[in-house]
Amino acid sequence: MLALLGAGAALAQDVPIEGRVNINLGKDSPVALVGMSTGDSHSSSRGAALVLDLHMALTLRNTGASRIHGVALRVVSQEITVGGKGSVSIPSLNIGPGESFPIRIDMQLMRPTQVAGGPLVDVNLDGVLFEDLSCYGPDRLSSCRTLTAWDLEAQRDREHFKHILAQAGPKGLRQAMLDSIGRQSARPQLDVRVLRAPAVTSAALGPVHTEQFAFLDFPDSPLQPLDGWAQVAGNEARSPRIQVRNRSAQTIKYVELGWLVSDPGGQQYLAASLPASDPALYLPAGKTARVEQDTALRFTRAGQPVSIQGAVGFVSRVQFADGKLWVPSRADLERDSLVKVLPASAEEQRLNDLYLKRGLDALVQELKKY
Amino acid sequence: MKHPDQETLALHAGGDLGPIARWRARRHLARCAQCREEVAGFDQYRQLLPSLDDSQDVHWSRLAAEMKANIRLGLAAGECVSVAGPVWSGARVGVALASVAVLLATGVVLEHPGPTVARETGVVVQATADGVQVREGGQSMGLMHSGTNKEAVTYQVGAQGSVEARYVDAETGYVTVNKVDVE
Repeated sequence: MLALLGAGAALAQDVPIEGRVNINLGKDSPVALVGMSTGDSHSSSRGAALVLDLHMALTLRNTGASRIHGVALRVVSQEITVGGKGSVSIPSLNIGPGESFPIRIDMQLMRPTQVAGGPLVDVNLDGVLFEDLSCYGPDRLSSCRTLTAWDLEAQRDREHFKHILAQAGPKGLRQAMLDSIGRQSARPQLDVRVLRAPAVTSAALGPVHTEQFAFLDFPDSPLQPLDGWAQVAGNEARSPRIQVRNRSAQTIKYVELGWLVSDPGGQQYLAASLPASDPALYLPAGKTARVEQDTALRFTRAGQPVSIQGAVGFVSRVQFADGKLWVPSRADLERDSLVKVLPASAEEQRLNDLYLKRGLDALVQELKKY
Repeated sequence: MKHPDQETLALHAGGDLGPIARWRARRHLARCAQCREEVAGFDQYRQLLPSLDDSQDVHWSRLAAEMKANIRLGLAAGECVSVAGPVWSGARVGVALASVAVLLATGVVLEHPGPTVARETGVVVQATADGVQVREGGQSMGLMHSGTNKEAVTYQVGAQGSVEARYVDAETGYVTVNKVDVE
């Protein structure tokens, strides 16, 4: 217990970190680094652990000929990262040729002993999405797919609010913004931990049972969920498996489902997204495949375990063999009150923030840009 | 609102509080985000302890047995050198029995199995008080959203082993998505 208390007290001796960060944007990159600051980055001791706080502010310039709609950076600490990697992405951009934009990266690295010399962190450009949905980058994190999906969601949600503006005027738009902000603040959330290795089976979790998935089947979805289940014990759900069928006329190469769970009171929460584990998925028209993951999810709220009852799945993202993507329509999300359980898209979040900070007129002007 | 002191929060994080104190701490934590963050911090450090603990191989039952044997040896030696008075005087028997009882009780307490807790082994990805983190043993890497109101951050988990935090950066004004993934 003394060690626990001692570990909580940070020692005051901070050491500045200089020249320990590598930035690599690629040789023919459409963005150039025009500024970088490591600010008050420092290292300190907490008990026997060494903690490094890295605060980086990068300024990138669009050196290409197309407008940039999104950027993803891959962030890895070779020495400290424990079988993990990170990324910092900026969706919902609208950066013209020659224009600059800032990106902040705040990292915290912790390990029990001193760190040897050499680079601490490598920051690599992983993807740049352009206005026409073409993409540049090594794409090691599938950033191009993610940035494209975010951009499709952005187009969908801008159209939704532009339609409200056209139909109901600024007052209607204001009400839609207030409804959106209210939904987000009232949205129920659970704290979820993902464990990659199987946890030690514990009597404390209670008996394990198989929970069958129910499905929300969007009529315009190219993929039909057929059957599925997950192993559930107390506040832990593991090894979800869902059988899906390609009901479109095109071959599918990537699928992702949303996974909702309920607590004993019947309150629904978004548990996780459930992407196909096979990176070489090839699902021709009419064929079936199984989406599965061998991980365990633990659910808590305010530090207390939340028992899981019920599982609901829905198709949230599909990529065809030609690279094109499908995301649910606004009408899909508003059916079955899904919009109350799911987080707002990045673009809706940005428009909410713009309305709160700069008002209705600024929001109307922003929507008119597109 | 009066907050529990650091020791109480640390004991709560370790599951070492008594029933009443635990109930009071839980009641406070349910409505105090600041203290929940403190407890989460202690919990994080507690994950480090196995890697810092050098004494986990101590075998308490063996230690208790050795101590008991030494006391028996001492009593036996005392019998050999005792020439005067009855060997099983009331006081001697009382002291010896009391010593053995204390040792046995200590052994039982130290070896008594506690409640089974599911330990998290392997790589864990999770949201923390001010970021998202991938952790294994005593090492971790986190992407932080320091300075952003936690209520304004949207967290999303990927069942393949990822967690992302999406927020509007107060300085840049751009939506920023920090994500950590298991390799």
